[in-house]
Amino acid sequence: MLLSLLPLPTTMSVGANMHIPDGYFGPLFSIALWIIALPWLGLATRQLSRQLNQRMVPLVALFAAFSFVIMMFNVPLIGGTTGHAIGASIAAIVIGPAGAAVAVAIALLIQALFFGDGGILAYGANILLMALIMPYTAAFIYRALGGNTLISDRRRLVASFAAGWASLSLIAGLAGIMFGLQPILFHAADGTPLYAPFPLQVAVPAMLIPHMLVASVIEGLVTAGILAYLQRGNPELLEVSLKPGVASRLESARLRPLWIGLAALVVLSPVGLLAAGTAWGEWAAEEIADVVGYTPQGLAATQTWSAPLPDYAVHGLNANLGYIVSAGLGIGLTLVVIWVIASLLARRSAAQKS
Amino acid sequence: MARSLVERTLASVTHTLEQTLFAEDIARQPGVLQSLDPRVKLVSVLALLLAVSFARNLWVIAGLYLLVLSLAWVSRVPLGFFVRHVWVALPFFTGLVALPVLFNVVTPGAPVLTLWSNPLIAITAQGLRAAAFLILRVGTSVSLAILLVLVTPWNTLLRALSVLRVPSVFLLILGMTYRYIYLLLKTASDMFEARQSRVVGRLQPAAQRHLVTNTMGVLMSKSYGLSQDVYLAMLSRGYRGRPRTLDRFTMQPRDWLWGAAALSVAVVALWLGRG
Amino acid sequence: MQVEPVFEVEDAHFSYDRRQTALAGVSLQVGRGDKIAILGSNGSGKSTLLKLLDGLYFPQRGVVRAFGQPLSEDRFNDETFAFDFRRRVALVFQDADVQLFSPTVWDEIAFAPLQLDLSEAEVKARVAEAVQTLRIEHLVDRAPHRLSGGEKRRVALASVLALRPEVWLLDEPTTGLDPRSQSWLVDFILEQAEQGGTFITSTHDLDIVSEIADRVYVFDETHRLAAEGPTEQILADRELLLRCNLIHAHRHHHGDVMHAHPHWHRPHAEHVHEA
Repeated sequence: MLLSLLPLPTTMSVGANMHIPDGYFGPLFSIALWIIALPWLGLATRQLSRQLNQRMVPLVALFAAFSFVIMMFNVPLIGGTTGHAIGASIAAIVIGPAGAAVAVAIALLIQALFFGDGGILAYGANILLMALIMPYTAAFIYRALGGNTLISDRRRLVASFAAGWASLSLIAGLAGIMFGLQPILFHAADGTPLYAPFPLQVAVPAMLIPHMLVASVIEGLVTAGILAYLQRGNPELLEVSLKPGVASRLESARLRPLWIGLAALVVLSPVGLLAAGTAWGEWAAEEIADVVGYTPQGLAATQTWSAPLPDYAVHGLNANLGYIVSAGLGIGLTLVVIWVIASLLARRSAAQKS
Repeated sequence: MARSLVERTLASVTHTLEQTLFAEDIARQPGVLQSLDPRVKLVSVLALLLAVSFARNLWVIAGLYLLVLSLAWVSRVPLGFFVRHVWVALPFFTGLVALPVLFNVVTPGAPVLTLWSNPLIAITAQGLRAAAFLILRVGTSVSLAILLVLVTPWNTLLRALSVLRVPSVFLLILGMTYRYIYLLLKTASDMFEARQSRVVGRLQPAAQRHLVTNTMGVLMSKSYGLSQDVYLAMLSRGYRGRPRTLDRFTMQPRDWLWGAAALSVAVVALWLGRG
Repeated sequence: MQVEPVFEVEDAHFSYDRRQTALAGVSLQVGRGDKIAILGSNGSGKSTLLKLLDGLYFPQRGVVRAFGQPLSEDRFNDETFAFDFRRRVALVFQDADVQLFSPTVWDEIAFAPLQLDLSEAEVKARVAEAVQTLRIEHLVDRAPHRLSGGEKRRVALASVLALRPEVWLLDEPTTGLDPRSQSWLVDFILEQAEQGGTFITSTHDLDIVSEIADRVYVFDETHRLAAEGPTEQILADRELLLRCNLIHAHRHHHGDVMHAHPHWHRPHAEHVHEA
């Protein structure tokens, strides 16, 4: 019930969709995200410049301009609801995740620096979520579900919707975790949160639910809608990112069921996260006492259920935090394992072919 | 009656264009900050942003906000516009997000105002302070960023990024992106207008969505086509994959002075705000 | 009298995506100091030919030689050759939005000199000179999207002038220009040609041809050259111009007699009827 009352950053269509402003994250947290994001972006840039050589500059510039413009469009859903798409997923499908990463990062920099939209210190967080995790996840899901079908195949529409929906839901969940970590990490002596104030059990579902129901649906519809247009109007464009290596790695009829299963896992992971979110909510009161040093009366009064796992905390690390971090790590590990299995299988099938 | 989607999108496109034109006009006024080297301004703003971010004392953030306001004032930025732009339009959601924070349900703590006793619903002291921290911090950070854009023509600001060791290939891409945003916006708005002149009445959401995604598809095709042509145009004028940019800045003594002053303020604020 | 050859094209074929034919066997010669016009209707292959001459595309059959050397992708991988060629030959693109890819006019004009690795002082001198020649001092800090059609054309010419090329390739330079800008453009070409420049202009605007060209090549609609000759001779050949879709028969009634005569449209002037 609380959730439905919460006006959330992402449910409003006032221009900024998922753009985290300065002031929500503690400075050390922001800096840590810069440290993760910059090398990744650097790698993407290197990969791209190796592929495209001198063509990189105009391609990235035009796609960055495209992403920027796309983020300004109001997209209608139903019953007067509208929202904005990020466009990272369709960019990843058309020019590949590395190109999309650099292009979206540039679009976000222009928004932050020249339009005051999205923070400057929070730029590391914004590119990590929207320019890196999102396009790489979207490309992965699209390629896995789209398989080796023809460019014009309808299955690609489904794959592109799933790519847009799941990649945005995933980063919404991750953003929720980031928001929820702030009051745990940064608070004054009397418990006053200094930055984003919502605890994890509020922040995660508050980010996830509206995204899964609205914003991610819009992202999915936009991704599939543009893809459908390109299938009819400009199919050559859809062949741009299909270098021979990429296509052969993902085809192989025998592997396809595996791929679909793995992709479904990624698609469903936000749902899992959400389910976990409600679970945390139920034993939060005790943990808050751990963090802030007293039991909030409101939560004590409504507390009807105690933690199923007694004393989850490790070395002073808050149980809540531990749970979230392990959930986050779990998703990350799943992705890594999938990727490793995929490349091993790809290498083997390539070896068999030659 | 609610305006149609197309009208709203057109309005937001026009708004963005107007906003940047307005910003460029302010940036050309003979104000104090306008006359400074853009690299000094960029570094100062970053230092002050860090001070705002690290502060654990509300008064320090409030002080920094007053500093931003007075800087805007001496730089001939219309204060009414500046305050409204930051507090109403931009972090609109921040204010709403802060609302539930006041209550014990989200922020447990010492009740200040009890609305309901069983179950307890009350505004807490911690909640009030948390909301104040969030709103002040976000508002001041956004004000700093907006002030920087208002007093610096954007292409100058772009070149100033080189002081942060941003590689020149990124500077080239950034400049080109900014230039083509307007072309794509113009294309989109022309397409909408053409479409609007042919449509009587309002479209159903599905049809509207179709129109919007088709427009996006056209824009994407255009982006790709343009990127190929622009590549040829760059090649023709001697581009060999090694971008070179030239800035036309020279630091004056007063630039050094202002930079030193801004950094000292940031250091003092960091010290005072350490909590 | 032996004129130093600039371009020799022998039986050049080119098609886009191996489907869409643009050139189906084209041969021509251009000597130093020539003023050449390439006439043809839209889509006849003029733009493609200019891109071949500028070393942006390479013929799939046949050969294009510049200054006696055949042009090929391999040849352009040789930095010295590419550098030298780009310094001597420049193309002004038909679409100013492709040609002008930089964030401001100053950056646009400085792009080519910067790519030529000139010193800072020399780059600035080149920009200043081009700006002065084209009388665009008031535009240097403007963004290209805030320029009118005529202003864009001036900036495009300035961006090429800063290279100080020997050979100018102009693709439909009068597109979108009002009559005054058109006559100004003709003056500019004549001035530059007097200083020894070679000019190759593609156009379907017959009005400027006699002023800017001594010799004319005419494309027909099968992507081949239908004719070549001195300007007056070609312009006098109504039948040829009609066949190549450069003028069209205009039928109307004089009393009760049906009358037809060839006719072309001046873009912004009154129609010219020649009975």
